[in-house]
Amino acid sequence: MKVMLTTKILDANERIAEENKKMFKEAGVYVVNLMSSPGAGKTSLLEKTIEAIKDKVRVGVIEGDITGTNDAERIDRFGIPVVQINTEGACHLDANMIANAAKELPLKDLDLLFIENVGNLVCPAEFKVGEDVKVMILSLTEGDDKPLKYPLMFQESSVLIINKIDLKDYLDVSIDKIKKDAQFLNPKIKIFEVSCKTGQGIDEWTNWLLTSIS
Amino acid sequence: MHEASIAYELLNIAVKECSKNGYSKIKTIKVVIGRATGVVPEALLFAFNVLREDTIAKHANLIIEEAPVKGFCKDCKNEFESNENYILFECPNCGSFSINLISGKELNIKEMEVS
Repeated sequence: MKVMLTTKILDANERIAEENKKMFKEAGVYVVNLMSSPGAGKTSLLEKTIEAIKDKVRVGVIEGDITGTNDAERIDRFGIPVVQINTEGACHLDANMIANAAKELPLKDLDLLFIENVGNLVCPAEFKVGEDVKVMILSLTEGDDKPLKYPLMFQESSVLIINKIDLKDYLDVSIDKIKKDAQFLNPKIKIFEVSCKTGQGIDEWTNWLLTSIS
Repeated sequence: MHEASIAYELLNIAVKECSKNGYSKIKTIKVVIGRATGVVPEALLFAFNVLREDTIAKHANLIIEEAPVKGFCKDCKNEFESNENYILFECPNCGSFSINLISGKELNIKEMEVS
């Protein structure tokens, strides 16, 4: 016999994401889900950002990686709360992993929580984790064809950070094309151009972030 | 690869629905996947076929219905359809940005055949 259903397949994840969101809101924590390809500069951006704002707001970090604790060690040097999730092969973080990791954090003593997702320009876009904002990084070395090749990530993110702009004279890549295509996919996307190497543009990004938190 | 998580969740929902209503075998599961979800049907099918083992959906067929990206323009009152795998924000007929998305982001289980 036939059974008719109208269930969203990711319903369970979305329910847990909503619970996470409520928990973060009650604790007064603003949550950023940071996504990009491997090597685009997620941890470098976190290092620069934490350096710039750690005297103004209380920051915590959840690090998502398939394996290893390299990124958590890089953040640990700042003396702020950090939890490493190892997904053991999974290509993205989901809401349940975040619910478990959050138990290890002093949420009430935080103003801002960064969730560094697994390096992947595809899968993390599909899974809400309970964040306030999705921020993505595209580094110039990845090429200016990426927005149209990976449209979902650009459509799901509210902020695009273009990293490694110190390399622009050495690469055949058009920042204008990246911006144009990203805005075609997502007219409301907020774009920052930064270099985590030289620190260029970090101020604009952190100012925006601090305004969003308050 | 996130298709594996999606296959896992859809099997979970289907099996739970059956145990709730006393069915012991799933023959088919029909899902609707919007073209703008980033889900690759072949990858979803592959993951489903691996994960269905050891469940009451062991012999089940997964039927994937793809939903195109469709919108309605509030200015020119035209419905449009796109072949792209992303959502359009601009009406292809009149260029307006006042658009309602009708379809393209579905990730739903539609029906099952059970016994």
